[in-house]
Amino acid sequence: MDCNEIRDLVSELWGGDLPAAAREHLSRCAACERFWRDARLAQAGFRAWAEEAVPEPSLGFASRLVRRLLEWERTGARSEFFETVGRRFVYATLALTLALLLSLVLPTSGPVRGVAGADFLGLQSSTQLSQPDVIGGDLSDPHDMIPGRVPD
Amino acid sequence: MARLESEVSHEVECIRRVQRGEGEAFGPLVERYQQRIFSIVFHLVRRRDEVEDLAQEVFFKAFRAIRSYNFQSSFATWLSRIAVNHCYDYLRKVRASRLSYYSEMTEESARELERKVEGSPPQGLDHGERITLRDFVSRLLARAPEDDRVILTLKELEDFSVEEIAELLRLKSSTVKVRLHRARKRMLEDLERWRQEGK
Repeated sequence: MDCNEIRDLVSELWGGDLPAAAREHLSRCAACERFWRDARLAQAGFRAWAEEAVPEPSLGFASRLVRRLLEWERTGARSEFFETVGRRFVYATLALTLALLLSLVLPTSGPVRGVAGADFLGLQSSTQLSQPDVIGGDLSDPHDMIPGRVPD
Repeated sequence: MARLESEVSHEVECIRRVQRGEGEAFGPLVERYQQRIFSIVFHLVRRRDEVEDLAQEVFFKAFRAIRSYNFQSSFATWLSRIAVNHCYDYLRKVRASRLSYYSEMTEESARELERKVEGSPPQGLDHGERITLRDFVSRLLARAPEDDRVILTLKELEDFSVEEIAELLRLKSSTVKVRLHRARKRMLEDLERWRQEGK
């Protein structure tokens, strides 16, 4: 058995009896022997801690808590509801504004809608004006199909 | 047996009433489970002064979510799950401060502890020795990752069975066994590293 196997075994058995092969390893490996002793220490520590008294709820904890919960139900839950609805309303308004802004901005910047947008604003460039329409243009000269090429 | 059945049916009735909007019926449920929740919270967060506030928050969360409780697991498990998750979130928030606990531990005090456990069986320890040991494990746990801490606490301090932990954490029993084993190994290796750093 190697050191890693021993450590696995110690962590797995956790206080149980180790097999003879493992005990033999511990007798000649100081690091693993220490690991095993640490495990015993930790087990004893857990036991000691588990025996410690858990703090008791203060007197009237349950009734006080229920009173607060009912109070919250009457007021807090309602205000929480309005808060949620209000927040959603704000988000919806923001989303709508963003969509409107995008619809105004997109036609002037996109590659597809660029011409339409520029056309709409009367800003078509001289290059664009000099370019033949690929779909409806005259295709007899194949050079005309090269984008950006200025006609002779 | 009959008493247990009547307790369960009373509990079910209380849950249904709270689900219908009768908040007052939550009182008996708090009374019944407050000790359990206090224990889980105390063992997970280790801070006496915070236990009541955290337990209150756990019950508050349970109250708000009780309509989603569908009786598939026991109410105790459902409530414990909320407590564990709440403490888990708390532990993650206070992560920055946890190292200081561990750094307080000197090599000398670790050796002293070792001597004490080596010589005598743990049940023969006096009160002072128990406190020292508890402190030692408490610091080791404080240093452990949250997942390890939760699973070790449920097993070693709350004394839950592997099956109970599996139900609570919604894991397979085999997964819990493996995680438990790895958590112990990591904790001991961490102790080893700490000792080497101290040299």
